[in-house]
Amino acid sequence: MSVMLTKFESKSNRVKGLAFHPTQPLLAAALHNGSVQLWNYRMGVLVDRFEEHEGPVRGVAIHPSRALLVTGGDDYKIKVWDLKPQSRRCLFTLHGHLDYVRTVQFHHEMPWILSASDDQTIRIWNSTSRHCVAILTGHSHYVMSAQFHPKDDLIVSTSMDQTVRVWDISGLRKNTPNNGPNNFETFDTFSTVKYVLEGHDRGVNWASFHPTLPLIVSAADDRTIKIWRMSETRAWEVDSCRGHFNSVSSAIFHPKHELIVSCAEDKTVRVWDLAKRTAIQTFRRENDRFWILAAHPNLNLFAAGHDGGLIVFKLERERPAFTVHGDMLYYVRDKYVRTYDFNSGSDIGMLSVRKFGSPYVPPRTVSYNPAERAVVVTISSDNGLFELSSLPTQSNGEVKDSLIEVRDLSNSVVKTIKPPVQTNEIFYGGTACLILSSITTVVLYDIQQQKTIAELNSPPVKYVVWNADGSLVALMSKHTITIANKNFSQNSLIHETIRIKSGAWDDTGVFIYSTLNHIKYCLPQGDHGVICTLDNPVYLTRVKGKTAHCLDRSARPRTITFDPTEYRFKLALLRNNYDEMLHIIRTSTLLGQSIIAYLQQKGFPEIALHFVQDKNTRFDLAIECGNLDVALETARAIDRPECWERLAQQALKQGNHKIVEKAYQQTKNFDRLSFLYLATGSTEKLSKMQKIADARGDPMSRFHNALYAGDVLGRITVLRDVGLHPLAYLTAKTNGLEEEAAEILEVAGLTEADVDDIPVFGKCTLQTPSVVTPTSNLNWPSISMGESFFDRALANGHLDGDSDIPHINGNGLDSGAGASTALDDWAKDEEPDVEEDGWELDAEAEDDEEKDVDEEFEDAIEEEDLGAGAAPGVSENELWVRNSPFAAEHVAAGSFDTAMQLLNRQLGVVNFELLKPLFLSIYRSSHVYVSPIASLPPLQLHIRRNPEETSPGRVLPVTARTLSSIRTELSEGYRFVSGNKLSEAQATFRSVLLALLLIVVSSDNEAKEWRDTVTTAREYLIGVSIELERRRIAQDEPDNVRRSLELAAYFTHCQLQSQHMQIALRSAIGVFAKANNHATAAKLARRLLDLNPDPKIVAQARQRIAAGDRNPRNTVEVSYDEFTEFEICAATYTPIYKGSPSVRCPYTDAAFLPEFKGKLDPLIELTEIGASASGLPAPR
Amino acid sequence: MYFIKQQFTLGAYPAILSLQLPDPSSPDYIPTLLYKVRAHLAIGDNASALALLPADTENVALKAAAALAKDEQGLESLRDLCVEIEGDQDSDDWEKQTVQVLAATAFIRAGEIEEALETLRGEGIPGDEQAALLTQVYLSLARPALAQKVLAPALKANPDALVLQLAEAIISLVTGSQGTSGEPYAPALSFYNEQVANPSISSPALLVGRAVVRILRGELSSAQSDLEEADSIISRAKCEEASSDMLAAMIVAAGLSGAKKGDADQLWSRLLKQHPSHPLVADIAAKELLFDECASKFQVPPRAVAVA
Repeated sequence: MSVMLTKFESKSNRVKGLAFHPTQPLLAAALHNGSVQLWNYRMGVLVDRFEEHEGPVRGVAIHPSRALLVTGGDDYKIKVWDLKPQSRRCLFTLHGHLDYVRTVQFHHEMPWILSASDDQTIRIWNSTSRHCVAILTGHSHYVMSAQFHPKDDLIVSTSMDQTVRVWDISGLRKNTPNNGPNNFETFDTFSTVKYVLEGHDRGVNWASFHPTLPLIVSAADDRTIKIWRMSETRAWEVDSCRGHFNSVSSAIFHPKHELIVSCAEDKTVRVWDLAKRTAIQTFRRENDRFWILAAHPNLNLFAAGHDGGLIVFKLERERPAFTVHGDMLYYVRDKYVRTYDFNSGSDIGMLSVRKFGSPYVPPRTVSYNPAERAVVVTISSDNGLFELSSLPTQSNGEVKDSLIEVRDLSNSVVKTIKPPVQTNEIFYGGTACLILSSITTVVLYDIQQQKTIAELNSPPVKYVVWNADGSLVALMSKHTITIANKNFSQNSLIHETIRIKSGAWDDTGVFIYSTLNHIKYCLPQGDHGVICTLDNPVYLTRVKGKTAHCLDRSARPRTITFDPTEYRFKLALLRNNYDEMLHIIRTSTLLGQSIIAYLQQKGFPEIALHFVQDKNTRFDLAIECGNLDVALETARAIDRPECWERLAQQALKQGNHKIVEKAYQQTKNFDRLSFLYLATGSTEKLSKMQKIADARGDPMSRFHNALYAGDVLGRITVLRDVGLHPLAYLTAKTNGLEEEAAEILEVAGLTEADVDDIPVFGKCTLQTPSVVTPTSNLNWPSISMGESFFDRALANGHLDGDSDIPHINGNGLDSGAGASTALDDWAKDEEPDVEEDGWELDAEAEDDEEKDVDEEFEDAIEEEDLGAGAAPGVSENELWVRNSPFAAEHVAAGSFDTAMQLLNRQLGVVNFELLKPLFLSIYRSSHVYVSPIASLPPLQLHIRRNPEETSPGRVLPVTARTLSSIRTELSEGYRFVSGNKLSEAQATFRSVLLALLLIVVSSDNEAKEWRDTVTTAREYLIGVSIELERRRIAQDEPDNVRRSLELAAYFTHCQLQSQHMQIALRSAIGVFAKANNHATAAKLARRLLDLNPDPKIVAQARQRIAAGDRNPRNTVEVSYDEFTEFEICAATYTPIYKGSPSVRCPYTDAAFLPEFKGKLDPLIELTEIGASASGLPAPR
Repeated sequence: MYFIKQQFTLGAYPAILSLQLPDPSSPDYIPTLLYKVRAHLAIGDNASALALLPADTENVALKAAAALAKDEQGLESLRDLCVEIEGDQDSDDWEKQTVQVLAATAFIRAGEIEEALETLRGEGIPGDEQAALLTQVYLSLARPALAQKVLAPALKANPDALVLQLAEAIISLVTGSQGTSGEPYAPALSFYNEQVANPSISSPALLVGRAVVRILRGELSSAQSDLEEADSIISRAKCEEASSDMLAAMIVAAGLSGAKKGDADQLWSRLLKQHPSHPLVADIAAKELLFDECASKFQVPPRAVAVA
């Protein structure tokens, strides 16, 4: 036996006790410094420490089926611990021993704990009742160890009194239920010494039973290991093993093989053949004496504790020798070559290789030669042998003294090769080639030409696996895998931190490999990942679809089923096999951060986009792949300045200035926004920016905007406003604005004469750049992002409706269709968009401020403990103002100035005088007072619209005027119209329009209703006003028939309800008939008939029509063309025919002749005609 | 005595005014006198209050009441009294607390909010009345969180104190808190409902209070009927001084319910006439000025007129 493989080593204080966990890779070590360590020997990490013993801990054991640990130490105590990870703690302590506790052990089925102590006793404790149930006395010196028999009711103990004793405890098992605790009298009656084994010349340190045979092995200070045999009646010494040259501390039987493992203070661990009683192997340490040995109950693992820590080792390689050909696996188990058919699962022994090499060493490799149906088995003992059995058997090459000999099947040397490097291993290297592995390199060697084809740097390669068609090869070393193609021209290296065990190629060209604890995959270009986790290492032999065939450590074939989706997806991605990817996406739930990160890392952010729900990640990905639509959408959802900035940058790169604009608007990046507008030639927006700059009161920004817009006067104004008169003057002068220049001089108190020493500058040539291509309404054409197959496929897939993919990109960015839709959208939402943003600037400035206030407020609350609380908080009025964009609610909050600003911006109102009573009554109606406490001033309470809301961010004031109440007023107006009380009607309609200004709309429907009401009221108001004007003219200037007729006709063109329209028509018919304009009267009468009036009226109308037919002439020429659509100017009451220019009232939308722009609307005397306004804010 | 306190707390001042004073030697004499004086003060009748008080009293509480009745001139003596009671061993706690409450009231009326808070806080847990007063002060400062913080321990210590229940109701009126029932203003509503239903008390203030809750909840018509009832009680009691809040509430109810035009304005002129010092009046006047100021910021262009 030349192998002793150290698997794990730790450094610590002297280790006196060791115990393996039966199922998990855990090892408990009792230390001389009083600590008990729990190691995960597979991962090499210290899992936990138990530190409650005072003084050295000597004994440790883990319960064979429960998560319990028992320890015994020099503090005379035995402690039982819970091993469950969530509750690792000492459960209880057993007191009773009067001296050091040497060993402890759990019984395999009874709740017993066995302990051996220097007080010359062995005790058995019931771990349930936590009492001592037996004290075994008889030893006349320290008891060094005590062990239960693995099956029988026996105990073996050793002592410094040079004896090994075997105790029969069958009586204990019977009597336990009847015995009370601490009844010392009865203890000895059921535990009897069965045998006393004498033979050692010194104290005996350890003895243990054979797991199956009636054998005992003992280790003693006399440097010998003795083997004892028991029968029913007696026990005797079989043999001694001599070889240790100092006290032997421990000796145990190998759980599976006929071996004894021992350790001693001579710093060696030795392995003995049980049958021959000869030493097989010695493992030596330089400085550390060994104190304890432990064997894993099931696995081929041992642990030994020494002065400086512990080692975990195994005695033989466990990798079965195997090879795969076609669907057959050839492998060696128990020195027997077997074949296993992957398809049928048949497993047949073919050939015994028992006589081959050392009996303790399993064969290392098997190779199969299909041509001759022969296998070569190699073994590394005796300098390396091979045996060719032509299944029967045969051979190939072998490294011998740095020579490679190639032999034919009859074992004659065909060729001898001097390898180019110091070769440790040779492998099949493709046709007529070998792969030679040295310490640092791998060489592909052509046997025929005797030359090196290629060389790779790699740690020593231990195994080589070729894929099915021989195009790819995986070279496996201890911690690395090199994937190379046939001639080693391409390769990639994978590094693993834990040991690589085996590997096999998938049918699709993915290399699947196993490590100590994982099965992993590796793509040809080097990407790798975990497929599943393993409890125990396996050796992969073949991978087919979802099944991995493997051999376990006892060389039994197994299969493992796993999910290949992830690597198949990645492979498809590598090969651009989109169909496959699509299929995978559709059919499996491939999600998770890792795949997203992978896609992103591999440069497929647009695909990753399809998997992501998280908006931040989506945003990142969208930016990365330049998908601005998605980026915009997610940026909206996230709404953080950083996001907008990044979006702006990316969009700028791609030339999508609309998105840039939106992003700048969101981040209030005025300067850039202005420049953007300049760059896009969007003069209109620039002027808006100027307004915003004015509102912000930022002179620099104003100047920029003026400069961009070519607004010289604007620039001068800014310069003057900030007191830069010299600059202002020069600007004016160089632009030929002499008047302005003079004015500036005047303001500065100077005259022309004072400045005549200023050099004369030429006329300024600064011009606004002329817009060559108006790009402001379209995006620059950009490079098509190449709408990928994938996008389209996914999109289609989605349309098919069978997909659960959360998101669809739809069309690529800048395809023609996309652009035009974008344009449409733009056209639709441009106006309100910009205006509202302009408006929101202020609102949000307020917001910021308010946040500060809030913070202060919170701080204050936290700081003060009712101290200095006199600072007022945020009043409800302020909350209302913050929470609402409606003027009415600002009024209710008493914030008249903001209310007015809102009305001004939203509806262009400039004359507020008329609104004063409304303002005051609304404010008055929103507050109520209560005085709960005597003599104190009453408390102001705020009436809310939404009392169910209590969050300060939501409260809104009560609505004093509702749409319905106003509509009631409106119908009152109708009644006045019907009742011919026109001036009252006019007043009512005006008041309706006033009240409508201060209405809060809460839904889109209401907003529409509001607009309808405004329009109706306007029409009536215009109509009534026209009629009043007509009557005034009829009275004041009776000669002006023409005007009177015109007005009567116009009145019929206001949009009135049908009964009022009838009145208008009838009055017009009357007037026209009187003026002998029968033709027009007849036309009007026909219109009247269309309205289905009363029969009486019908009769009159018919009369008129008849009269008109008789006399189809008009006596008075009037400017009335009923065939062309027209609107009526609300100031002059003259028609504005369709297509003629007009300006409008920003509130009522009433039309005016263009010359009235900038004047006060005469209809309701509130607004400036033609002022820009944003309309009522969006309902909320 | 409890009954008097209850009446006082709930604002049934007319009932207290008509009380007979007990014998001067009785232990109830001073408290009763004090409540009577405070009732006078509450409806703003300072002269009768002063007349009731004996000029030569040694009782700090009575002295404080007298000082309160003197408005501005009383502030200094109240400050003195506050200092005096600090080291005073002779007076009852009850008296000290009363002094603090009265002093704080005076300070608040004079706008010395900070001083009032200082007085009320004192050391240790404030008494019931102090807590209620503090609550209201904080509410008037729009610091409902602080109000709640003051009230909660007091209410926990003495959950039956009417004055604290009232304060709790007021907090809910201000914050719109929903209590446990999820109904808006539930604590206030249940408080007022319970007290209005109490047969031993008939106080217009309670009715006004309930009306206010109903206005806040948007139940305008029932609010108006409460207000009308309160109006009739007040006019029967001939105690117009107590009507200010009622009028203010009536104006609001009228304004919101969209009643006939002029209703609200008529009530408004009544309020203006009877209570020119009511904060609503003052507030509206301020707002009128504000309106003019704001409106003047906008330039009104010339009216568009047809040029013949």
